[in-house]
Amino acid sequence: MSGRRNRLKIFPALTLAVFLLPILVGLLFTWAPAFGYLSAAGSNRFSLEPFATLLHHPSLPGALRSTFISGIGASLMSLGLALWIATTLYGSRLWSTIELSLAPLLSLPHAAFAIGFSFLIAPSGWLIRSVSPFPSGFTYPPDWTTNGDPWAISLTLTMLFKETPFLLLMIFSGLSRLDVRRTIWVGRSLGYHRLRIWTRLIIPQLYPMLRLPLLAVLAYSLSVVDLAYIIGPSLPPTLAVLIDRWFHDPDISSRFVGAAGALLLLLVTLACIGSALVLEYLISKIASRKILDGRRKSPFELLVGSGSFYALILLGVNVLSLTALMLWSVAHSWRFPHFLPARFSFSNWSAALSHLLEPVSVSALAAFLSCLLAIILVVGCFENEQNLARSRIDSISQRSLWIIYLPLLIPQISFLFGIQVLLIIFNLEGSWGTLIWIHLVFVLPYVFLTLANTYRSYDQRYSYVGTSLGARPVRSFFRVKLIMLTKPILFSMAVGFGVSIAQYLPTLYVGAGRFATITTETVSLASGSDRRVMAVYALSQFLLALTGFLTAIVLPAIMFRNRRAMQN
Amino acid sequence: MSLVLDSIKINLGTVQLFKPLSLTAPPGSIVTIMGPSGCGKSTLLASICGMLDPGFSFSGAITLNGRPLNGVEMEHRKVGILFQDDLLFPHLDVFGNMAFGLPARMSRRQKRERVNNSLAAAGLEGFGPRDIATLSGGQKARVSLLRALLAEPEAILLDEPFSKLDENLRGSIKQFVFDQIGFMNIPALMVTHERSDSADGTYIELK
Repeated sequence: MSGRRNRLKIFPALTLAVFLLPILVGLLFTWAPAFGYLSAAGSNRFSLEPFATLLHHPSLPGALRSTFISGIGASLMSLGLALWIATTLYGSRLWSTIELSLAPLLSLPHAAFAIGFSFLIAPSGWLIRSVSPFPSGFTYPPDWTTNGDPWAISLTLTMLFKETPFLLLMIFSGLSRLDVRRTIWVGRSLGYHRLRIWTRLIIPQLYPMLRLPLLAVLAYSLSVVDLAYIIGPSLPPTLAVLIDRWFHDPDISSRFVGAAGALLLLLVTLACIGSALVLEYLISKIASRKILDGRRKSPFELLVGSGSFYALILLGVNVLSLTALMLWSVAHSWRFPHFLPARFSFSNWSAALSHLLEPVSVSALAAFLSCLLAIILVVGCFENEQNLARSRIDSISQRSLWIIYLPLLIPQISFLFGIQVLLIIFNLEGSWGTLIWIHLVFVLPYVFLTLANTYRSYDQRYSYVGTSLGARPVRSFFRVKLIMLTKPILFSMAVGFGVSIAQYLPTLYVGAGRFATITTETVSLASGSDRRVMAVYALSQFLLALTGFLTAIVLPAIMFRNRRAMQN
Repeated sequence: MSLVLDSIKINLGTVQLFKPLSLTAPPGSIVTIMGPSGCGKSTLLASICGMLDPGFSFSGAITLNGRPLNGVEMEHRKVGILFQDDLLFPHLDVFGNMAFGLPARMSRRQKRERVNNSLAAAGLEGFGPRDIATLSGGQKARVSLLRALLAEPEAILLDEPFSKLDENLRGSIKQFVFDQIGFMNIPALMVTHERSDSADGTYIELK
């Protein structure tokens, strides 16, 4: 067995290398131009001029404002909404409905949702049409700005409706590790009402499990680019979009101020993460005194009924956005103020089919390869852990968790530019290998986190039985353990597959514009005006992500169709 | 001062869990309800303290100290409950767990005094600031009971409270629980499937 142990030891080291190396190297090479070093521009003197240019740039204040409003606003509201829904709806039938609807909700990629949502809230969108021409009196779309409003409200709302389901998923996972039912029972027997039980007993135990997912949401909201292009403000845009524009400016001297901006965005993100941690500490200090004041009932107890309202809005907006996409994709003509298209046709799809072929295949291949590599690395790490008998702990150590979350806590744009610079130096830009690698960096954390609990709770005795029946350990692994874990493995691969499909910036930067994926095409179309084509592309993105999940459901169902014990 | 159950019937769909149950639990004594697993003992307790799952239908009358409990919200019933797991709140220390059940009108100093007196009387002097994760099984069981009693319930329910304790602990914890309940002089209902757990009070088999 010692030979096997040596072989498996490379997995954690390999995984860390795959993972952290691009980030560290990318950061380094992004910072260099910020201080004046960029060989492509023939500049190699230390200079603070990029920062001066940045700080005096007229767009900066507006960009920072939109970034803060959308980034902090969306994260805080998502957390609040998710916790409120959990507190008010736990144990009810709506709660079970929410649990079942989370997987479909999460399979709708952000960009596709953003486009559908923009169809809802546009001045000529579905919501206005539902009240036009009666009772609103509109026969022409009103002259309002909803999409791309200068205060980034629509961007904030878009992220709110996508991040809340994600946080709810983390809440479900966290609650399953607590004895919620009986904690509520004890709390009520002591005279406490629902709200206080949750704020004083359950949430303090739950929050540590939500901390990293929330910080990932925060970092994402502050630095997202594709959503900001689709539905964010344009004059001035968010900081991330500003940086992206500088990096794509034909005038190469913009790279300097871009790099300075990327550094600023990194610092802003780190500051917000730090503030969140400080805030958490302060709140827990204050709360620990209040918890024991003995007051059984919160004044907000009356509002508990609002939970179902918010949950239904959450589900409803997602469903309506998807429906709007579907309708536009098969609409031949759909004039304002008609509620439904006047004529339907599939010509939108047939016309787009030939153009879709390449982006869809590129996306599918990249996603498949990255989730395959990810699962190999992740399973290798878990197996190595078994060998070292470290799997006695049933939860990942805090330190490992922070490392796994690292790519999700750093703004993508803050290190992707550096990677592109490095690749250009070595003439590696635009190669499939580097594209897969960069997708892998973001797919790995999700695959790891999705699979971790289930994989580690596998009863190792099945494998021992296999070995005791004469199979060599490797054979026992492949023919017993892997097969038994097919469903969770395929599911985490599907999650990774969806993550890869949805990647935007990594494809653009590392692919140096040579790879057209369904997501890059969808986002570039979003600035256009033909909603029918936009809908077709957005739905294609969604359907592609969905095939991953459908495979994860159908394949085990076929494999184990005569095995009832495998049907959980 | 008693807990009175009158013709309690609980149905899950069409299945009646046990024959109509009537009993009177006088203060300071423990009524033991015995029965095999799955016969509805825990469901009975749930119905008494007010946490019956909506899938069950319930008929009969529960009266505590002359006060009808039917339809009263669980928070207002003043019925304490003790489980086989201690269910101490891990994010609070021993003092926090016990003070949680005290009324709001007490000042912090009064609460501290109450908790410390209670701990001292139970042989757990100085345990207030302890992290509950550092307590032994027997210590946890005692703190759990003290927490329930400190809330001054008018009745207490015990759901197989000793089944997870080690053999050598059982005897001393049992005596501790029975002594405390006798001292508080409140009615108690205990369900168990271990014959040896029963107290000196009334003994009923659930059918």
